[in-house]
Amino acid sequence: MNGRERILASIQGQPTGRLPLMPITMMFAADQIGARYLDYVTDYRVLAEGQMRTAEKFGFDYVSAISDPAREPADLGAAIEFFPDQPPAVIEDRALLADKTRLAALRVPDPLAGRRMSDRVHGVALLKQRAGGDLLVEGWVEGPCAEAADLRGINTLMVDFYDDPAFVDDLFEFTVAMELEFAKAQIQAGADIIGVGDAAASLVGPKFYQGHVWAYEKKLIQGIHDLGAKVRLHICGNTRRILEGMGRTGADIVDLDYLAPVAAARAAMGPRQVLLGNLEPVGVLRNGSPEIVRDTVAACHRDAGENYIAGAGCEVCRDTPEANLRALCEYAHVSR
Amino acid sequence: MPELRELYDAILNGDHKTSAAVTREAIDAGIEPMELVSGYMVPAMDEVGKRFECEDYFIPELLLSARAMKAALELLRPLLAASGAKSAGRVVIGTVKGDLHDIGKNIVGAMLEGGGFEVIDLGADVAPQKFIAAIKERNPQLICLSALLTVTMPSMKTTIEAFKEAGVRDGVKVIVGGAPVTAEFAREIGADGFGENATAAVALARQLLQAA
Ligand code: B12
Repeated sequence: MNGRERILASIQGQPTGRLPLMPITMMFAADQIGARYLDYVTDYRVLAEGQMRTAEKFGFDYVSAISDPAREPADLGAAIEFFPDQPPAVIEDRALLADKTRLAALRVPDPLAGRRMSDRVHGVALLKQRAGGDLLVEGWVEGPCAEAADLRGINTLMVDFYDDPAFVDDLFEFTVAMELEFAKAQIQAGADIIGVGDAAASLVGPKFYQGHVWAYEKKLIQGIHDLGAKVRLHICGNTRRILEGMGRTGADIVDLDYLAPVAAARAAMGPRQVLLGNLEPVGVLRNGSPEIVRDTVAACHRDAGENYIAGAGCEVCRDTPEANLRALCEYAHVSR
Repeated sequence: MPELRELYDAILNGDHKTSAAVTREAIDAGIEPMELVSGYMVPAMDEVGKRFECEDYFIPELLLSARAMKAALELLRPLLAASGAKSAGRVVIGTVKGDLHDIGKNIVGAMLEGGGFEVIDLGADVAPQKFIAAIKERNPQLICLSALLTVTMPSMKTTIEAFKEAGVRDGVKVIVGGAPVTAEFAREIGADGFGENATAAVALARQLLQAA
């Protein structure tokens, strides 16, 4: 059974042989091939090389086109700052939708127009070609809340929930339409699964998550399923209070950051939900020892029981000792 | 006579219009600005911080309350300055070089302001030179550094070292915070303190400036 088959089997609730393994790497993967992060996010060949080499070296079951949240905003014309060796970022002071009325005129960009979104689509195609069906290929889009935060400015969006909830819904509606187009292009390029990153959703609290965010996440996930791909929902931060809702979005895999206990997620989402996580990227994976990493992932596995995929709560930090990451991988390689 | 309890409630509930309206009425009725700050605004922001800690409030509520508090403070600031009322201290705050996360920093800044401090916010991605310039020009007693990335935590160290080189370190207290920062790290880099959250930041600021 290869990595791709293993993850797909896990999603179907079938036997997987051993634990599937899906840690998120971005800057870590760039460092593995000695590439500057700026090149990783602007040249899909660098990203594909970093992903392939890292997956091979550590025995991951998948590769991913995840890189930074500024691709869609860039193609919409938002002001972006690029850094030589860090992820590019949206400039919040000059947010595209600082003026709310601009939303009405916003059009979904063509994901194949040769800009930043296309670079990711090309990355997916190259990963598909290079992985040759052995590794699962993951595309990536932003979730409704994260993308809305990037377009409106996260500090402003948080207050919009009270000031103008109708605008928030309209903005979410737009982001879902855009992310579905982006997902479609990546699926057509060969993505087996689409990661939906909705970090900002962990900040809004259960009331707004249930009242606004959840329905749009569900719509996006349903849309991706209709396009024929699987979905991994990744909300970093403290999701303890919204776990139950996350389990009802229909996501095939739900990621847990370290602040959301695996046992609580299992209780909230039931035995069939595939859970992924949740080693603390800094405190355990980066600063711990191989023994601590092994004990921690074993505890996660025990709390999750069946339907579990090994991984960290969020991106593996760039300066993580290789021996620590190896300890996580080796645990998955020998456990069932 | 305005019902001052409404100011407390308005801040707690994040209602900036009422908070400004009550403040205006209070000013017209000749109530001491300091009485509003320490009697109603500081306790309201303290309660906001408590509710955040026990997960009753989340980021939207926090930012809403901060806005309501600021609406009142805008009106009071000229009066406070004219009356020569002593602020709890002057603070310069910013997120360190390379780091763009500013939500936590904004909340800490707002809570300090709510706690009676004068706050000068330098924004995010602030170079050490910019902090040093602010120290020289504005003469603060306390510097607050925020970082949310492990890769920018070293910027906190660089910033404190730059203070030493520029000869301004001894004149100020420096406290640090942000999700990945720990008390141990704060000690290692020679900061004067670490705060887990905004409430702790205010308590720490009070304690350090009292001792000074
Ligand atoms: C919002 C967010 C963003 C937004 C920031 C927008 C903004 N204007 O702030 C954007 C999208 C720009 C962003 C970008 C990135 N982010 Co980010 N982001 C977050 C997120 C979702 C929330 C952070 C937050 O605001 N928390 C809420 C506030 C209130 O908490 P806080 O900041 O900790 O502040 C509290 C305390 O720490 C304390 N405090 C804070 N400062 C201070 C200062 C003093 C003096 C004191 C005493 C106390 C104190 O008081 C505050 C109130 O209680 C977190 C994940 C999460 N859900 O937690 C990731 C997270 C912080 N980001 C992360 C990463 C990796 C990035 C990127 C590199 C992502 C990427 N790959 O593209 C970029 C880097 C950009 C850059 N150069 O800075 C990682 C950091 C990992 C690490 N430890 O290194 C996190 C943890 C996500 C993750 N698990 O991977 N991000």
